[in-house]
Amino acid sequence: MALLQISEPGMSTAPHEHRLAVGIDLGTTNSLVASVRSGVAETLVNESGESLVPSVVYYAENNSPVVGVKAQEMAVIDPLNTIASIKRVLGRSVSEIESGKNYLPFQFDKSSDSVPKICTAHGSRTAVEISADILSALKETAETALGGELKGAVITVPAYFDDSQRQATKDAATLAGLNVFRLLNEPTAAAIAYGLDQSAEGVIAVYDLGGGTFDISVLRLRQGVFEVLATGGDSALGGDDFDHAIARWIAEELSVALDEDPILMRQTLIAAKNAKESLTTNSHATINLDGHSELNLSRDKFNEIIEPFVKKTIMSCRRALRDADVDASDVSEVVMVGGSTRVLAVREQVEKYFSRSPHVDIDPDRVVAIGAAIQADILAGNKPGDEMLLLDVIPLSLGIETMGGLVEKIINRNTTIPVARAQEFTTYKDGQSAMRIHILQGERELVSDCRSLATFDLTDLPPLVAGAAKIKVTFQVDADGLLSVSAQEENTGVSASIEVKPSYGLTDAEIEAMLKSSIDHAQEDMQARSLREEQVEADRVVEALNSALEKDGDQLLEPQELESITIARDSLVKMRQSATDPEQITKAIKQVEKVSEEYVARRMNNSVRSMMQGHNVKEFQE
Amino acid sequence: MEFDFSRNYFELFGLEVEFQLDHAALTIGYQKQQSQFHPDRYIESNDQDKRVAMQATTFINEGYKVLSDEHARARYMLELNGVSFDVEQDTTHDMDFLMSQMSLREEIDEVDQHEDPLEVLDKLSKQSRAQKQDLIDTYLEYYHAKAWDEAKEIVLKLQFFSRLQQQISSKQEALEDELL
Repeated sequence: MALLQISEPGMSTAPHEHRLAVGIDLGTTNSLVASVRSGVAETLVNESGESLVPSVVYYAENNSPVVGVKAQEMAVIDPLNTIASIKRVLGRSVSEIESGKNYLPFQFDKSSDSVPKICTAHGSRTAVEISADILSALKETAETALGGELKGAVITVPAYFDDSQRQATKDAATLAGLNVFRLLNEPTAAAIAYGLDQSAEGVIAVYDLGGGTFDISVLRLRQGVFEVLATGGDSALGGDDFDHAIARWIAEELSVALDEDPILMRQTLIAAKNAKESLTTNSHATINLDGHSELNLSRDKFNEIIEPFVKKTIMSCRRALRDADVDASDVSEVVMVGGSTRVLAVREQVEKYFSRSPHVDIDPDRVVAIGAAIQADILAGNKPGDEMLLLDVIPLSLGIETMGGLVEKIINRNTTIPVARAQEFTTYKDGQSAMRIHILQGERELVSDCRSLATFDLTDLPPLVAGAAKIKVTFQVDADGLLSVSAQEENTGVSASIEVKPSYGLTDAEIEAMLKSSIDHAQEDMQARSLREEQVEADRVVEALNSALEKDGDQLLEPQELESITIARDSLVKMRQSATDPEQITKAIKQVEKVSEEYVARRMNNSVRSMMQGHNVKEFQE
Repeated sequence: MEFDFSRNYFELFGLEVEFQLDHAALTIGYQKQQSQFHPDRYIESNDQDKRVAMQATTFINEGYKVLSDEHARARYMLELNGVSFDVEQDTTHDMDFLMSQMSLREEIDEVDQHEDPLEVLDKLSKQSRAQKQDLIDTYLEYYHAKAWDEAKEIVLKLQFFSRLQQQISSKQEALEDELL
């Protein structure tokens, strides 16, 4: 007990009434917990003195799970019982994980068909359970540091997380015994961390580039109200891509093949990462790989290597600004979040695009947790009279499946939450008593390109003639961005309802059952599907090109032109047979289209076919 | 807690029922309502109050969205005067208008054939905005004359411009993706 209590100005509650609340940044690589103490938001340290806790869990036989640095150390000794990067699996189905591009160092339990389970010394564990173990450790850290039981927590999620991933995060927190005040988007948390300190007014852009994901959010701050205008990004773009690009450059310079040598691959990636980090302060980095000559990577070369990735993020910024209906010149503050924003070229490009220097003064690794702590403090009621309010949006559109495998959007992305939309359906057969509704999330038109959230059946419909039943289905998204669906037959008032959202206090088995129901069993392997589509496309392009060449290739093309077209065509044919990544085929198709552009133009000029229009090979097919 | 769901959106935000509205006043009214009823203000309340807070903010968000958009606002003002819209059935039959819409859409589809497609899209976007503004002027004349059927016909046409704008945006997105 302190002898002297000094109250902060504006803190009207007496210290003993202060409700303990924390903000938690549950990250892919590291996690943090922060809280507002004496009016100041700060990250809390655990008994080992760390605040940045590696998101790694070690499961030793007959022992409770170990989280953090100690767990990370076990990765070398007992890799299979040491689980890292679990966030990549959270809220994902087995098929999605199998089709993912990134290698995940887990042993999946093969007997589990839809909810991925990872084999550990503690038996098969779901991503929700493993994340809960991390959250439990953070909860313990906080309760020890703050000296009492937590009233609640604000947990951050990437803005781009879909409904299943948000739900899984909330389930993990519930499982860890945390009362979740709110799920908060990471970029929004960062804006809060800056916005309150500097009491800014205007349009704020939050540029969040982490190891594996990129988020951009555009917010308007006015009299303490944060309104998220738009959010966007790329869930598979981050600093890891920089490392891989440098590693490829190293391999090229040293003429070594990385793909066949996992150990060399690992070493090269580490060297690449070190070079990247060194280039934030030095203009040159030296790279030494065992048994190879020393390499020198200049900052200019590095900038050139990563340029395509940075450009991609700027493109996402443009899109988000358009969604928000603001110009780059309207943006008054730019906030940088995520370790990868330490890269100078990233800062320069962001500065150039927005024509203003971005805020970098809060540690990009901590800023999210700090913002979450400020929000938690307000939600806990520790700051009565505080006008701060957060109006967030749904990041991805919600829709339902309609005829022909198409998606009809019900709620568009970037709509302010909470939001509800009602849609009326009718029966198409006499006496039809049931109806199935498939809910999806995503921006694309085809069901196969969107994320399947749930399929539910409306049963016990009153037996009426076709078209007479009017079933009103209401989609409600709450302030956490979570969806629930209810349905009612308008004439009879018969209601059916499914909750994609669970209530608190569920057992593990129930949570898992719920997760199962939220993942579509029949979902096709997306990668395989797009591969097939690209193969068909490749066949069509080749066939069209061949028939055109047969007709007038000799007349219209110089020998060397003909040669470059046939080379591109042959490499497409080869790629069509061997590629496992649809992207490779797409590239080969584009290449064919590019080298035959001139040919297509000449054919048009010659009016060889009056029907033909446009400038690419696709038009041959008509 | 109590929330009056019977108010129209203009009343909700303390505005006169008028098409030309003060956007700053709308935003202030919106944020004032949000500050009072947002679920964040009812974190520790009972389930009943939490549900009302969610429904109230859903209503507030919907109202803000409707009033912020010209087409939705025009339509809503007719609904307040007893005009009903049937999403499935109602459409305009003005052939000249439909033809001009078709050709605008074709131009968007074929924009790739131009040297600078993004610039052409910007031009099309400006053109469609100008046409939309003309329609709105006509709408207001009918509205003030209480010529509901004629005003409704204009609202049905305005809907095409919302879709046109969406089409332009998605085309812009697609083109930008290709640039990568």
